[in-house]
Amino acid sequence: MKPQVAFFDFTSCEGCQLNKLNFENDLLDILKHVDIVEFREAMDDKADHYDIAFIEGSITSPSCVERIHDIRRRSDILVALGSCAVNGGVNAMKNLHPIDEVRETVYGDDKYLFATLPAMAVSSVVKVDYEVRGCPMTQQDFLKLLIALVLGKQPPKYGSPVCVECKLKENECLYNRGMVCLGPITRGGCDAVCPSFGQFCTGCRGILDNPNIDGMLEVMTSHGISLDEAKKRMLLYNSNEVQL
Amino acid sequence: MECFSLLRSDVPALIDHLRDFGEVIAPHGKGDVSYSFEVVRDSSDVVLDYNRTLLPLKKMFLPPVEKLMGFSLKNESFEQVEVAIAPRVFFGVHSYEMQSILRLDHSMLSGSAESNYFKRRQSSRFLGISFEPDEFHFSESVGIVIEEMEGFDLFLNEVDGDFQLYVLTDNGQEMLNGFDKINLTEPEIVEGRHFKKKIRYHYNRLPRVFQYAYHSDVWADVASRCVGCGACTLTCPTCFCFDVHDHVEVTAEDGMRQRSWDSCMLSTFAEVAGGENFREKTINRTRHRLFRKFKYITDEEGLPWCVGCGRCTAFCPAGISMPDIVNELIQEDEKAQYHRTVRV
Amino acid sequence: MKRLQDVEHHETEDLYYPTMCKVTGAKQITEMEKWYELEMPEGQSLGHGPGQFVEVSAFGIGEAPISISSSPSKNGKFELCIRQVGTLTNVLKNYETGDMMGIRGPFGKGFPMEKLFGKDILVVAGGIGLVPLRSLINYVLDNRKDFGRLIILYGAKTPSELLFTDELETWKDRDDVELHVTVDQPDETWKGNTGVITTLIPSLDLKLNTTIAAITGPPVMYKFVVMSLKSKQLPDDQIYLSLERRMKCGVGKCGHCQINGVYCCQDGPVFNYVDIKPLEEAL
Repeated sequence: MKPQVAFFDFTSCEGCQLNKLNFENDLLDILKHVDIVEFREAMDDKADHYDIAFIEGSITSPSCVERIHDIRRRSDILVALGSCAVNGGVNAMKNLHPIDEVRETVYGDDKYLFATLPAMAVSSVVKVDYEVRGCPMTQQDFLKLLIALVLGKQPPKYGSPVCVECKLKENECLYNRGMVCLGPITRGGCDAVCPSFGQFCTGCRGILDNPNIDGMLEVMTSHGISLDEAKKRMLLYNSNEVQL
Repeated sequence: MECFSLLRSDVPALIDHLRDFGEVIAPHGKGDVSYSFEVVRDSSDVVLDYNRTLLPLKKMFLPPVEKLMGFSLKNESFEQVEVAIAPRVFFGVHSYEMQSILRLDHSMLSGSAESNYFKRRQSSRFLGISFEPDEFHFSESVGIVIEEMEGFDLFLNEVDGDFQLYVLTDNGQEMLNGFDKINLTEPEIVEGRHFKKKIRYHYNRLPRVFQYAYHSDVWADVASRCVGCGACTLTCPTCFCFDVHDHVEVTAEDGMRQRSWDSCMLSTFAEVAGGENFREKTINRTRHRLFRKFKYITDEEGLPWCVGCGRCTAFCPAGISMPDIVNELIQEDEKAQYHRTVRV
Repeated sequence: MKRLQDVEHHETEDLYYPTMCKVTGAKQITEMEKWYELEMPEGQSLGHGPGQFVEVSAFGIGEAPISISSSPSKNGKFELCIRQVGTLTNVLKNYETGDMMGIRGPFGKGFPMEKLFGKDILVVAGGIGLVPLRSLINYVLDNRKDFGRLIILYGAKTPSELLFTDELETWKDRDDVELHVTVDQPDETWKGNTGVITTLIPSLDLKLNTTIAAITGPPVMYKFVVMSLKSKQLPDDQIYLSLERRMKCGVGKCGHCQINGVYCCQDGPVFNYVDIKPLEEAL
């Protein structure tokens, strides 16, 4: 029997889910391998058990916590999709401010009607088996993971920075164009898609293990931005991962 | 050795002429301020004055990503990859780049001689060109002058804006047959091209410096600045480390095994299946990189495995300079010697 | 320096194509390790020496270096024993008799048998280190009269992780083998030695001028075993170690297995202790 696969979204822009719907060319091949049983953006269905549950978005409220536990109980394999789910993503920027202040800014006088938590990675609440990083996750990366799971192998882990793929494509370094790029310490696997199109890396796939943060801040400031700005850039997608 | 004069304005005609001998690959502008070796479509696009290309010419013999075989998961079988052996002419190559290819020959062909590399490397002809050293070139310090012609079939030496064309091999001679825009002339020595960046010692003294450099404090200082991006090694013309991985099509039936350039500067490079990492810290890796260039292979072959192209320095986001590191090691070594002497 | 013009076309090799070998036997021998017997096509033999390794390949997954665990004196077929620790090895556990496994090799330098003839052989195996050493042990047993004593020290974490238990029984029963087995964490059934492998060394009665030690085990083990052997006054050049590194290509190119200036896949994996003592990255 084909694996039963479901997609769930939490706090996110749902961009990763939309990205999946763009699979036109590969969708039929994908459906040869798996049955999609739950996918709010595409259909409406419910099942008691999932072989693979894909989770998009971060955990930001008590009801999210309850729901993710429920999904985890019903799933054999749970995969975090996109930076919100993997490490909290841009949502986690709110964690840099006192939670009451954040609530007041967003909900004003109604703030007591809305319970909120710091934006958390799915893995800080339940066990996450695999992850697809990026904002949004790339189709290619998602497919690699899916094929790996279908073949029963470990999905790829990316331990090298974006710079590696960028260099292999012989892109002109954006530092040589006067830009400040997070490629040197950002986890690769995206085929350096942003730098290839002249856009500096914003770190959406997360920071590498054991990064040289001080060294990176030095690189950024020596290329013309203030320390404050450098820190902000680094935190954009990684407020939960980097201590500055 | 014959020498001809050639007007700068006639160089495109020479490039067009060379196309009879195969695909011509030459430096082109890339991005805002960079260069890369590309197949020539229009000879007037070729850049004659460039500092260095982003990737070394190595990419033409050892491609950054290379298919090693195709395979079928269903049949548990693989199919071989044909490596084409088309003749190619490499135009406008700097002397350090040519020297890096000769070193790469050794790396890929000694011990087990790799057929893929050999096939690509065969039937290639090289036309060199002089260059004006910028703040990063230091090839003279590793024994490679601007006019080093070893490995070339033809060499263009710029003299007052135009060129002197040296014929160095029979192949070079053959390539000029029927090209009439050149006139026999006397070779001139060109004065005034100087390397701005230098290593303080002659390269034959470096093995001794490196012999005592293993526990130097310099490595920790380099490691504190290094952000571990791998740019130095990925753009290095003599580095040849690679990784191999399997890619499966979305059909989950077919796929291919690929290799791609890898870097000993990446933290996962020396990790084994059990999780042990034999060069876990940046300090271990920065040291390994320089020892690969100035000690390990050098001890056996008598040559530095660095050709002074300056790429590792020019493309390092942290501005870490290879010759500066070597000079710091030299300085430290001198201090240590002084102290040893004083104690005695 | 090797130059292009020194190389003839026929001297070059397609280094990365595997030979498809048929699995003729497969058995899960512990929770983590599976044993395989393989056969080269068309009656070829692998032609390995004790201590060498092969690159095992599964399409779609990749390759990994695996020690050969059978003696070269075993004709026709060869054996591997694979611990399930990585992506590839986790997939290989599904391989059964009749499946085809891609093999490249054999690679590297094994134990220098010519230097071992006539000597007392002291085998020190920690955990999965027994796999390459089993090749050596069985070679010695198959050519028993060419060697002196055969002393085997074998340590595992727990009794259930002991490999080749049938063979351990056979070795124990032979009077020309001195087998000492120890476990770090005994269970209620365990009656043998307890403690790390170095605890077996002090009581050994070794003839120093004629003993050769062959050591394989987890990285952390080597320093301690070498220290113990040195405290028994065993000369450095009579100690051989087989090291584990990420030998990706097996042919001295990819750089992953480099220990300082030495390629583990070419100059090793078996090294004389004298040769690696000066290498800071070795032990």
